[in-house]
Amino acid sequence: MLHAADRPMKKAKRNRTEFWMLLPSMIVLAIISLFPFFFMIYASFMDYRLDMDKPRFAGLDNWKNIFTDSTYWDSWGRTVIYAGGGLIIQLALGIGLALLLYHIPKFRNLFATLLMLPLFVAPIVAGLLWRFLLDPTYGLYNWFLQLLGVNIQILGDPSYAMPAVIMMDVWEWTPLITIIVLAGLQSVSHEPLEAAEVDGASGWQKVRYILLPMVRRMIVVALLIRSMDILRYVDVITITTEGGPADATKTIGYYLMQVAFRFQDIGTAAALGLTMLVVSIMLGRFFIRVLRSEEA
Amino acid sequence: MSTRRNILYTVLYILGIAALAWSLIPIIYMIMSSLKTQIGMFTMPPQLIFEPTFDVYKDMFSARGNFTGFLSNSIIVSLITTLLCLVLGVTGGFALARGNFKREKDIAFWIISTRMAPIPAVILPLYLIFAKFGMIGTTEGLIFAYTTFNLPFSLWLMMTFFKDIPIDLEEAAMIDGCSKFRAFWQIALPTAAPGIVATAVLCLMFSWNDYAFASVFTGKGTQTVPVAVSLLVSQSGIKWGQAMATGTVVIMPMLICGLLVRKYMVRGLSMGAVK
Amino acid sequence: MKKRSLLSGLLALVMVSVLILSACSSKNESSGSPSPSASPSATSSAAPADGDPFGGWVEGLPKIEAPAGFDWKQFAGTTLNVITENTPPSAGLASIIDEFENATGIKVNIEQVNLDIVIEKAGLDFNARNDNYHIIYADPYQILSKQAKHFVNLHTLNDDPTLPSIPGGLEDFIQAQLVVGGYMGDKENLYALPYDNPTMVLAYRKDVFEKYKDQFMAEKGYDWTPGPDMTWDQYYEVAAWINQKVKEGVITEVKYGTGHQAKQHDSLMNDFSNVLTSFGGEYFQAENLGDIGTENPGKSLLTSPEAIQAAEFYNKLLKEAAPGSTSWDWSGLAEAFAAGEIAMIPEWHEFSATFEDPSSSSVAGKVAWTILPKGPKGRGNMYGGTGIGINKYISENDKKAAWLFLIWATAPQTQNKILDAGFTPTRYSVYQLPHIQRALTDPNSEEAKNWPLASSLLAAQEAWKEENSYFRPKIPMWAQVDTIVYTELSKMLAGRQTPEETMKEIAKQSDKLTGN
Repeated sequence: MLHAADRPMKKAKRNRTEFWMLLPSMIVLAIISLFPFFFMIYASFMDYRLDMDKPRFAGLDNWKNIFTDSTYWDSWGRTVIYAGGGLIIQLALGIGLALLLYHIPKFRNLFATLLMLPLFVAPIVAGLLWRFLLDPTYGLYNWFLQLLGVNIQILGDPSYAMPAVIMMDVWEWTPLITIIVLAGLQSVSHEPLEAAEVDGASGWQKVRYILLPMVRRMIVVALLIRSMDILRYVDVITITTEGGPADATKTIGYYLMQVAFRFQDIGTAAALGLTMLVVSIMLGRFFIRVLRSEEA
Repeated sequence: MSTRRNILYTVLYILGIAALAWSLIPIIYMIMSSLKTQIGMFTMPPQLIFEPTFDVYKDMFSARGNFTGFLSNSIIVSLITTLLCLVLGVTGGFALARGNFKREKDIAFWIISTRMAPIPAVILPLYLIFAKFGMIGTTEGLIFAYTTFNLPFSLWLMMTFFKDIPIDLEEAAMIDGCSKFRAFWQIALPTAAPGIVATAVLCLMFSWNDYAFASVFTGKGTQTVPVAVSLLVSQSGIKWGQAMATGTVVIMPMLICGLLVRKYMVRGLSMGAVK
Repeated sequence: MKKRSLLSGLLALVMVSVLILSACSSKNESSGSPSPSASPSATSSAAPADGDPFGGWVEGLPKIEAPAGFDWKQFAGTTLNVITENTPPSAGLASIIDEFENATGIKVNIEQVNLDIVIEKAGLDFNARNDNYHIIYADPYQILSKQAKHFVNLHTLNDDPTLPSIPGGLEDFIQAQLVVGGYMGDKENLYALPYDNPTMVLAYRKDVFEKYKDQFMAEKGYDWTPGPDMTWDQYYEVAAWINQKVKEGVITEVKYGTGHQAKQHDSLMNDFSNVLTSFGGEYFQAENLGDIGTENPGKSLLTSPEAIQAAEFYNKLLKEAAPGSTSWDWSGLAEAFAAGEIAMIPEWHEFSATFEDPSSSSVAGKVAWTILPKGPKGRGNMYGGTGIGINKYISENDKKAAWLFLIWATAPQTQNKILDAGFTPTRYSVYQLPHIQRALTDPNSEEAKNWPLASSLLAAQEAWKEENSYFRPKIPMWAQVDTIVYTELSKMLAGRQTPEETMKEIAKQSDKLTGN
């Protein structure tokens, strides 16, 4: 395979077309992302509330406030459970379902298409729908649980509210992981599999040592996309539990929304937002590193 | 041997149906509920056989309900932003994949990191910009806002796809005197079509489903469907019938879209795994 | 190539459908808004009164009057943007907006959104000193309390001799509501006119209370029918008794004695405040907290023995409540009550329309209303009303145009017209109308039957009396204090902390916040 690096003479010329092709995107990106980013940094050092005439310089006050705020740390703790738990379950279910779909002989397309549906329900609609299903008075799932003798207030009980919102996220987004991984599986070339068959490998061994490693890259792509969003999307929590009961579902994303929109404290929100961005970036770098190690 | 295989398949199908039930029961229930009266919706045990009523839908699409307005706003905004981000993302992604930029990895990471900014924190700065240019409550404003998360996504995803297409064909064409851009247009682009479709569907989905930006940047004539849904949760109670109906209508376009392009989506997403 | 043509084909298909759909929507919009359904008002006089281009005036109401030679159409061509919560009056006004637009030539865009979004957008807009929204729903506690200075002083417009003034004058508004909704910090500047006024009162199942009255009397020795004399302790006793009888299978019409809107939400603060004030508790030290409001509320008074007593009682009461209470805000609670599950609930009076509607309620005709019970030190019925005001940063011309809208939107004749939207009038004159009086006092009258809201309005009027009403603190940092209150209370109800700890924690956090 010819490689660009083998042609030093043409390198400069090569880059020119690409440069112009890339420039418009870079300009747009710069405008839409640089200003908010620098604004966030600026605001984090200011006492800036929406009802003030002019923001006042506050030095490290905002930062001090959030780092000494127990709600801040508790919210991160809850986020670890929400994001961590959610991602692990989605991954396990998603990969499991993809493998399942890969192995069934017939109706694969039908199953796969139908399984994709929850992905297309807007989070705000999904939240309302689940609220409807879990309501103590007329919820379908609640009624079903009561039939089984289980009498809990799912969204009204701090111990069950968090598992409930995790389940909502899993319900909606597992299909994304499934189709990404399934796509990867379907494009795996058959030679290694046939070779393994000849060597007498069992089904499970084939899965573990051939299929999974070959779709590792796709798994990481799915993971990266989901991990970015699971921190940011709070529509479902907002429309079901509003962070309660007893703060049980107040993740850092929800807390940020509360500070920014309810309290209208832009300075603190900016500081909070920056910490979330840092965590996101660290997570992203970690996943990319795994992705890159794949390319070796 | 074949009975063992049959048992395996049976088990798999049972699991598959269980998974389908898990995914689909809420949706089927939603569709059913949209056809019931409010009282009917609330009675337990759930009525499986009932007389469907389309009152809610009629009300929704009437001039007062104005649902077609919300729907067309959502469609227009999602389509335009997807188109815009595709054009920029495909060309930019190609450039990133093929160009030998210094620090390419860092640029790529910077691109995707712009999508990581938490929404509540960036709404104020964006609002200030939009207010200055009179873009609040306009369709253009919302399209621009959606670009903030769709462009990095499509750039990064297209870059990943293009990287996995072997460069041979393009190089061969260029040896024959083709310009870089033509090589892109006539060779790389068609090969990457499935990937483009996959990116397009995902961009459409993210724009279609957004509530956070829409709630702030839309105005009276430009409200989108998710905003309409939030209006159903009002001070005097939740209009469940309309909520269910809205949910049913909302998944339809995406469903059709998804079904049509599923084949391409699969092919597109799998391009990343081909070595 | 095949793939490309499929792609372009798909794109073409999608573009065509978009075009078709947009064409459809514009057709819908031009078909005009439906006329409002018949309201219980007497037939409006055909010819508009002198100087009033709107029509709809009814005998007995103050007239909309304009100075001699006033041209109602002088602002024709202006566009006004209104942002409001999606409440009954907004829906009502939106449905008859043609009346205003035709009479003045001013185009009005009423944007209805959730309260959170109104607060967000109003905040953002004021911060940018924008002139996007001309008329704003001025929630007293979350918008007016901190952004009053961005509103126009309505006195300047009302006293302007070249403009029409408020029909019936400011005196016609229910005074307490005018003070809460219109002023901030002092009575100098009037920022908003009262627009809606939901109030918390007590709804109960009169069928249940009829049927088991004697049984209760025999066991406990008093008439248990909820009324102005009921105390919170009695309320608790009644609820517990009903729960007991349900368990024994004696009572089957309901499942629970009481239910509450105790979700971790603003609703919990509302519900608790009624109890707090009945026990003599107060949120803060400062004077005039609830009416004109103040910048600095002083120290938190929630550590007083009365407040702790209130919290302990509330905790005890919730233990007898329907278990879903901790997942319900006011809507969830209303739905449970409408499904027939609960015997008594403290709830916003506007829900009577929902309860009397057979298509959404199984308790239509079985519901009665009264004011909330009293405690050892008094009584409180939480008020939740709001006003509308004018953005200071719009042009002088637009301000005058907006003033015309305010006059019309809060005019007695308009309020009379939108009654069927579930709207509760904020003016004395409307309540004096004969057909309104009939609807309120005679539940069997035609008027009452046509106006489902009537059943709770008597209770609401009772609740607005000075000794019965309760207004929450109107301070700039209320959004945060509110959040602290209902978060800590939620933790208390979940058993995570005792009532005393809860009050102390709230006091500690709010003092830190207010700098006291």
